[in-house]
Amino acid sequence: MAEENKNIKETVVNSVNAIKDGPLPLRMYMEICARCGTCSTVCPVYYGSPEKAMNPVERSDLIRSLYKRYNTVSGKALGDLSGFDDFKEEDIERWIKDFYECTGCRRCATYCPFGIDNSVITRKGRAIVDKLGLTPDTMKKVVEISLKTGNTDGASAEAFKGAIAFLEEEMEEEHHGIKIKIPVDVEGADYFYVPPSGDVLVNPEATMGVAKVFHVLGMEDKWTMSSKCFDGANYGLFTGNDADMKQDNQLYVEEAKKLGVKTILMGECGHAYRIMKMIMEKAKWWGDLPFNIINCMEWTTEHIHAGKLKFDKSKNPQPVTYHDPCNFGRSCDIVEEPREILKASCQDFREMTPNRGENWCCGGGGGLSAMDDIIDFRMKISGTKKVEQIKDTGAQYVATACSNCKRQLTQLIEHHKLGIELGGVHDMLSRAIIINGTAADRVEY
Amino acid sequence: MSFFIGAILPYITLVVFMIGIIYHFYVWKKLPKPKMTLTPAPKPGIPRYVELMKETFFFRSLFKGDKNLWIFSWVFHAMLALIFIGHLRVIMWLPDNMLASMGMTEESINTMSQLSGGIAGIIILLMVLVLFGRRLFTGRVREISLRGDYLALVLILIVLVTGDAMRFVSHFDLSLTRDYFLGLVTFSAVTIPDNSWFIAHFLFAQVLIMYMPFSKLLHFGGIFFTEALIHEH
Repeated sequence: MAEENKNIKETVVNSVNAIKDGPLPLRMYMEICARCGTCSTVCPVYYGSPEKAMNPVERSDLIRSLYKRYNTVSGKALGDLSGFDDFKEEDIERWIKDFYECTGCRRCATYCPFGIDNSVITRKGRAIVDKLGLTPDTMKKVVEISLKTGNTDGASAEAFKGAIAFLEEEMEEEHHGIKIKIPVDVEGADYFYVPPSGDVLVNPEATMGVAKVFHVLGMEDKWTMSSKCFDGANYGLFTGNDADMKQDNQLYVEEAKKLGVKTILMGECGHAYRIMKMIMEKAKWWGDLPFNIINCMEWTTEHIHAGKLKFDKSKNPQPVTYHDPCNFGRSCDIVEEPREILKASCQDFREMTPNRGENWCCGGGGGLSAMDDIIDFRMKISGTKKVEQIKDTGAQYVATACSNCKRQLTQLIEHHKLGIELGGVHDMLSRAIIINGTAADRVEY
Repeated sequence: MSFFIGAILPYITLVVFMIGIIYHFYVWKKLPKPKMTLTPAPKPGIPRYVELMKETFFFRSLFKGDKNLWIFSWVFHAMLALIFIGHLRVIMWLPDNMLASMGMTEESINTMSQLSGGIAGIIILLMVLVLFGRRLFTGRVREISLRGDYLALVLILIVLVTGDAMRFVSHFDLSLTRDYFLGLVTFSAVTIPDNSWFIAHFLFAQVLIMYMPFSKLLHFGGIFFTEALIHEH
């Protein structure tokens, strides 16, 4: 045990010391935080529970104090007197708990006078925890399943095909016999649609929406899904494990190459799109790519603007609001597109305040929404502000474009008995888009 | 003691400050910079610089995040800038000579300095007291405050109080410091102004300057690096 603990301390201290060699943002966050406390006024977690352990600076100090202890003149010379505490083996429990109580939403970075992005520190903390093999079991399992099966639900190719067949039947029924196809494993297609698996298995209307857009455009033979790669979710981003993140991503890039597509059409999943577009593509993980990467909301909006899609708004008469997922709003700048789609397909669209890049996190970001062991925290603390925001809109339907947000918001709505419907953006499109003169006669799910 | 503070310490201060700053800028320049855009981000080129200027001169993000803190910290930093410029008169003859050549009388220069410098000196002191009070009495700030946060405030406070004292308590003759600084930069024998307020002010100002590159006060230079990083498109 003692030996093991020594290893814990050694690993933690060495990993923290390595920040000296970058990357730059992380090192600067160790050095220039003025400790002004602005982040705590804009943090959804601290809003829900204003106590020291939830304060973003306090959380980041788990790493920052240790860094200063070992890498600054005062820390080295003064030791305990410096006020920078050394790492004690029992601290690791706090690390695990605290770093999985930050939703990584980056709202703090938006308001910090120095642009300090605490999510970067959180991810570093989680990476160290992961290195020690101490990532919470709920998260560890998701990564394991995803690397083994290619999707976070552990669904087989057969199960996927079954779900797709069901969706095709549903659409045929909704549209009175019109066959709307969802092509699977078609080599040589132009578009490879990669949603989060939830949009096939749990909230499938978004995928129906995308299929209907292709149908209306007469492009049914131009796109495909993959029975091996139907889940853009990539939890390596959340556990801080870069190797896992790359391995998960590689599967999708290779599949796109094998299918020979020109475009990866990412679904309504913020972090999946962020990894593909803002991380993998920009950092050139796999060199130059033979395809480009866009989001289905950008794509659909383009066709709405071109006047190619028509809608029957009376199908969606209820007040609808949009929750900006952090990864789309703050990390990818996809904010107008979902609004365009919702405004085109709904009668009463209402904004949440604040919104877009300033929106409050649902409380389940950073992968937390998959952790049922902290559901109390998510319902009673991190989701508090979101519930207030949703109530204020008076909306009867909350649309969002992220499986994590969807799960968290569904649970919030249930827990706080809001009696509001929750779904995706293309879900509303699916209900109102006109095919052969009429919109769907939707059956309740 | 005053010989050390006046004739030796300034050179140490300069060296320590320069080494600290150059070291940090050098490290920041060479470390790997992953792209980590925070959207909405300005387009590269001019819009990005405009954004950076807004952050630097008007604390735009802070304004959006915490209006109360914004007022106090913006006024504090603005006064700091004003006082910094005002100190040019303290260390050399040039500003006065220039103003005189523009037709200002010595008397009017002094009145202007008394007014602007005096007001700035009082306002900045008030701002620091408010910020100090905020750190002590606002729970969410107090709970994250470490020794270094108080040390920075105390140092600044001492420098401000001794500085204000020179203006308001005992009159101070600027020609003394001008000659003194001229002596310092030319490495010629220096006469240290014989005024205990000055000695105290100068000592703590130097401690503060040396402390800067090795503390959170480093944020004055860091902002250009982090803001540019995060708002890269």
